Amino acid sequence: MKNDRGGQLKIYQLFSPVLYGICLKYMKNEDDAKDVFQEAFVIVFQKISQYKFEGSFEGWLKRIFINKLIETLNKKKKESFFLDVFDPDTDFVEEEELDIIPIEQEKLLEYIRDLPDQYRTVFNLYVFEKMKHKEIAELLKISEGTSKSNLNRAKHILQKRILSIKKNFKIA
Amino acid sequence: MKKQKIEDIFSSMEDFSSVPPPELWGQIEEKLDKPKKKKRAILWWSAAACLLLGLLLPSVLHFSSDNSGIKTIQNNSIENNDVVLDQENKDTDKTRSIENKENILEKESNNNRVSSSEKTTNQSDQNQLNQNSKTVKAQTGSQNKTNNNSFEPKVNVERNNAVAEKSFVPARENGLNADSKSQISTNKKENINRAVAEKTFVSAGENGFNAASKNQLSTTKKENLNKAVAEKSFAPNKSDSFNYGSKSQSDIEKRNADKVLAEKKFAPAKTNNFNAVSGNQLPNSIFEDLSSSKNKNALALNASNSAAKRNPNALSPSLNKENIQKTTADKSIASVQNGNSKNNTAFSNSTVLSKKDSVQLAELQNLEKGIAAVTPEAEKKKKEDKTLSKSEKWALQLFAGVANSENYKNNKTLGNVNDSKQSNSYGVKTQYKINKKWAVASGFKINELGQSVANVSYLSTRNQALFSSSDYFVKNESVPQIASDTRYVLVSNTTKDVLQSDNIETGNLSQNLRYIEMPLEVSYSVFNKNRTNINLNTGGFVGKLISNSVAIDGNSMGENVNANDYVYGTTLSSTVQYRVYKKTNVFVEPAVNYYANPLSNQSFNQFQWGLNFGLNVNF
Repeated sequence: MKNDRGGQLKIYQLFSPVLYGICLKYMKNEDDAKDVFQEAFVIVFQKISQYKFEGSFEGWLKRIFINKLIETLNKKKKESFFLDVFDPDTDFVEEEELDIIPIEQEKLLEYIRDLPDQYRTVFNLYVFEKMKHKEIAELLKISEGTSKSNLNRAKHILQKRILSIKKNFKIA
Repeated sequence: MKKQKIEDIFSSMEDFSSVPPPELWGQIEEKLDKPKKKKRAILWWSAAACLLLGLLLPSVLHFSSDNSGIKTIQNNSIENNDVVLDQENKDTDKTRSIENKENILEKESNNNRVSSSEKTTNQSDQNQLNQNSKTVKAQTGSQNKTNNNSFEPKVNVERNNAVAEKSFVPARENGLNADSKSQISTNKKENINRAVAEKTFVSAGENGFNAASKNQLSTTKKENLNKAVAEKSFAPNKSDSFNYGSKSQSDIEKRNADKVLAEKKFAPAKTNNFNAVSGNQLPNSIFEDLSSSKNKNALALNASNSAAKRNPNALSPSLNKENIQKTTADKSIASVQNGNSKNNTAFSNSTVLSKKDSVQLAELQNLEKGIAAVTPEAEKKKKEDKTLSKSEKWALQLFAGVANSENYKNNKTLGNVNDSKQSNSYGVKTQYKINKKWAVASGFKINELGQSVANVSYLSTRNQALFSSSDYFVKNESVPQIASDTRYVLVSNTTKDVLQSDNIETGNLSQNLRYIEMPLEVSYSVFNKNRTNINLNTGGFVGKLISNSVAIDGNSMGENVNANDYVYGTTLSSTVQYRVYKKTNVFVEPAVNYYANPLSNQSFNQFQWGLNFGLNVNF
């Protein structure tokens, strides 16, 4: 499989939409998403012999991609990345339940990508990858408190964005 | 209105997918091809450098030590040694500079090779034949360069051969060069070859491709041929060549067809003018189609794949009569292709091709399952492989190095202090890893222990017809006999003053003992990170004497009579190892050896410093 270009192409065709979607969710910039997507796929094909048939293949691919995405984000962000520390007083925002209105996926993606890098990463890992704060903290080498704080702030920002849309929606 | 949380709102994004731009696959392919070459190059270069270093150092030191033995006379010995060493160094510098220049030339030709191969793989260019002739010209230029820069006739010949070999590489990559390949291999004079090759390409023109494609069947690898033909078959406005191409396409493997189609798919800039007569165009990119209708993604891909697999010729059915004889399924696919180009909708694809492609769709969708649900046997094998790879407990080490004996006890021979002497050593060792940290090693090593003593007084019986060494030894029983050759009599400093003979000369006494040693060492890994590994080794060795020589001022005095046939000693070393490729490591090993009993009745240097360079292969 390592040098079987036909097989590689099939894998690419089958999984590239989902994996590219992940890259778009994690990276603010589409060019960056493309770069990571390419590099991660190269890693996949180089390390495919290391796939141990434990768990799903898609899961294995996703892990490689997420690791690569986090590595890239860490490299990009040299300044205060994940420096926020959880402050229970200010960070605990009462989560509001919002009215259901139809929002296009493209819009939702835009909101996610507009989040600051650290918030976006934690939000993605928590909401989409179903990771626990402890796991996120280990992966990102941050404290659990920071992970919770980042998630809360991300949610807060998203909540505001959606509320603002809803206002417009109602007006319209 | 029903309410929901933020997470619920975004839950629809969990399975968010987006089709990547088509050019990304091409870039991934490029990246997949590149690093392999680099890695291999690094491996070979490092192996070559290691061997060169290992061989060069001992030989340089060997010659320098020989020269010093012959040329040194009394007090001037040190100065002469220096001069000789300098000359040696200059010589090696010269040879190195020549090698460097050769390397540069090689790199130049490599660059040309890369550029030419890149050019030849460019499918978007419709003037492939013209381009090929250009690439051949470019190679010719580079080859001429190498000829001009040659240093010696011998080197020149070697370079020519090397370049000739290289010229095959682009030939393999592009089937159109097949003719030139055979010509180059049969003729010896390259300049003529190049001219011939150029002519072939220039005169071939557009129709030249047909002949070339025929010849390829017998001369080039099947796969390469198929690729070239397939590429050509997609080039628009070349109906003649296409017919020939389609003939040979009957042999094309499914995979190749897939590949070609994929390449075409992922290049939206390229014209998809598959059907020259009808003039209808397929959508620029299948992926564009797919993005318009997500659910049809895999189906549309399957449509194209199956079309390519079953009958690549169907892409231009109106041009090729032979295609009529193909199966009805192929026809239907072909007609769909045409229909596709007319209607320009993916929807029609999915409806007409439902039967055939549902199978393909299932195949693709089950790919993941197929990988995951590999038979238990395969899984077992994998696990076995894993355990085997983990049990890479054995390692083979090849090494060569220099050694220098030391006199730490201020031992004296005949009243003069023993000096250090350089020698070389080489050997092979096997290592067995007990666990992560500890390992034992044993092997064979050829090592030389030597010493030189300056200002040794001696009498040479060669000049004294009436004087025999036995006369001297009878009177001076306290003076030990060192060498077996009785024509020389070594005189100690104390007796020299007593004798006050004009016949006493002073010279440099050089003694060498060469052993074949069998060490037994224990290694402890003190540092192991990434590719670097540092070990501390200690152990003992036994050695058998294989060569024994004594010389005064370069004149052999036979063997040292006091040398023990078997020696033993201890060794302490540190190995700094760097992994260059998978299981291959290079290492540097500074070491100190202690010989317990080199001579039985005479003082001798017992310590020895060594520096070994080597290659370590795990298995």
